[in-house]
Amino acid sequence: MSTQGQAGQHSSRERILDRVRAATQPPAAVASDYAALPRNYIRKGALGAEGKLNLLIERLREYDAEVVESSPEGLPAAIAAQLTASGKRSFVAPPGLPADWIAPGFDWKIDRGLTTAEIEQAEGVVTAAFCGVADSGTIVLHHSLTEGRRVLTLLPDWHLCILRASQVVQTLPEYFDRCQQPPALVTWISGPSATADIEMTRIKGVHGPRFLHVILVRDQGVTVTGIV
Amino acid sequence: MSHTVETHAILDPTLAPPFPQAALNVLRNPQLRKNVTHAIDVIQGKRARLVAEKTDWQELRTAASAIRTHALENLGVYLEQFEARCTAAGGHVHWAADASEARQIILDILRQENSSEVIKIKTMTSAEIQLNPFLEGQGISAYETDLAEIILQLGDEEPSHIVVPALHINRSQVREIFARRMGLKNLSDNPQALTAAARTYLRQKFLTIPTAISGANFLIAETGAVSVVESEGNGRMCLTLPRTMITLAGIEKVLPRFDDLEVMLQVLARSATGERMNPYTSLWTGVTPGDGPQNFHVILLDNGRSSILSIPRQRQTLKCIRCAACMNACPVYRQTGGHAYGSVYPGPIGAILTPQLQQMQHAQSLPYASSLCGACYEVCPVKINIPEVLLELRSQVVNQERKQAVRFFDPMYLGLRIANLLFLRAWLFHTAQRLGRIGARLVTSKDGWIHSLPSVGGKWTQTRDLRGLPPQTFHEWWAARGKEAK
Repeated sequence: MSTQGQAGQHSSRERILDRVRAATQPPAAVASDYAALPRNYIRKGALGAEGKLNLLIERLREYDAEVVESSPEGLPAAIAAQLTASGKRSFVAPPGLPADWIAPGFDWKIDRGLTTAEIEQAEGVVTAAFCGVADSGTIVLHHSLTEGRRVLTLLPDWHLCILRASQVVQTLPEYFDRCQQPPALVTWISGPSATADIEMTRIKGVHGPRFLHVILVRDQGVTVTGIV
Repeated sequence: MSHTVETHAILDPTLAPPFPQAALNVLRNPQLRKNVTHAIDVIQGKRARLVAEKTDWQELRTAASAIRTHALENLGVYLEQFEARCTAAGGHVHWAADASEARQIILDILRQENSSEVIKIKTMTSAEIQLNPFLEGQGISAYETDLAEIILQLGDEEPSHIVVPALHINRSQVREIFARRMGLKNLSDNPQALTAAARTYLRQKFLTIPTAISGANFLIAETGAVSVVESEGNGRMCLTLPRTMITLAGIEKVLPRFDDLEVMLQVLARSATGERMNPYTSLWTGVTPGDGPQNFHVILLDNGRSSILSIPRQRQTLKCIRCAACMNACPVYRQTGGHAYGSVYPGPIGAILTPQLQQMQHAQSLPYASSLCGACYEVCPVKINIPEVLLELRSQVVNQERKQAVRFFDPMYLGLRIANLLFLRAWLFHTAQRLGRIGARLVTSKDGWIHSLPSVGGKWTQTRDLRGLPPQTFHEWWAARGKEAK
């Protein structure tokens, strides 16, 4: 950008901020004002562990996501069964995915810098997740090494997501309570890609994955501190 | 500006005809009215169901309103914080005082990137600054990627709603547009087939065009993050695949902290599309090595917003999170659709936002495009008291107009000046009442009703009947009653 452009930028910045500051009160007590904001909405859900999982399953199915359950020991077999049932051959996986999730007998590409074209060619993707929110049937990805970069869960048409019961919360505020630090990258997924732009008819599958499968791992009793 | 005017004339508030005149076109188009009513009925029904299941809905509204009010009251602090954090995370923050500056900043970035093509996520803010016609004039093709926006762009149509912008177009009209512009002669009018056609049309563009433009639903001051809420995945494509990402955001979009999304995300999708959550919400912070665009620009746009901020009673307009619940609930929008508002922001929020963004120099008919029934206020997830702002703006319009010499003999202003004189003196008022009663006989029918008034009064009786004046006033009756008692 030219020097002149930068000078223009600078003056617009000052002009806007001056106008904004002149329009509002001096910021004497921002932090205490913020702390005093009313927050009387529901933070913690009332459902027990089982009720919470059932609600999540119901809500995911309402969005046309497929849900199966598995024990921690049975997980590799459950993954293999899902892959087989999909009828697909080629899969991508994030670099941190546990080795026993990479079911033998399929074409796997592990994302250690795969090109967009390589990811586009894959028929499916398998990842972990950070959290599941039962109330809205939402799966939250923070894009860690087990969840993959954003593009990984976007281009393949079929997404198998492994969610542990201990990662499931009932309400959205409970998810925020689980974030120790605000994450830099988040994708909240509530069912497969959809549109209702033509006569409000819901059509599944526009650009994101058309098929979302979830394996819910019954790991109750396991302490939740992080991801998988 | 002149070359941009032709393509977007009907949604340019500086050129649009007054609301009542523009509305006539729609009122005379039964197909359009049917399309609009159908879409609104569907969204309204879904919204009502999902809001009803939320037992803490009012508490969420109260919190959402308080967070937005607080953010606006401390906007300077939060904007600077956002700028610092976003910059620290590798983003470039630009400030645009008006539409033309924003367009120029975007053009400069695209020129630096040598981009002759750009993909876009639906952004009403870019429509507000009339970006697409401008880029076209500069030889840059901007491809809309939201299904509704593709329909509008290929069909050379204008958005009529801020969440479902093509709701006025039905499936056979979409089929016609796609068949013609994508060269698909055998395309059916099944929404599934139409959606698949759009997917194929865009896939290659997503994979090859290295620059994208988005709007923002929320800017997070605490972290410098930006969030975009969508359904189709076109947003994720644009946010993930290109090399360079440009986000255009109004300065009012800031939230203090990441945690504030726990309120906003609960109220937004329910209000907008009647879903518990929209399929995809993305949040990113500056640049993440190895993941997504490595050049990230945010343009903070004022374009009239800081002047709205300076008037306390009108400031609440900027709390808006663009959910469109107000237009879905509005009995006027339901009849007229969006184009009559002559702005990319239609419906009740448009009726207050547009004239204010125009600094009350244009769109003065919009504050009257309402029956003041209050349905918009009732559904608003951030509790914007739209009727209150409408009344405030109406009084400003009247104060502007009464000072204009040409309006001196305007029957309405003349009548109001006379009324002002009469109301100041009791004897004049009583005389006027008696004279009025005599005069009213001329226009009162035998059935005791006034069906038609002359002059400016005719505007009222055009669609309503008035009851004739009673034979005596309450004062007269009271005085007569006193005498009888003696």
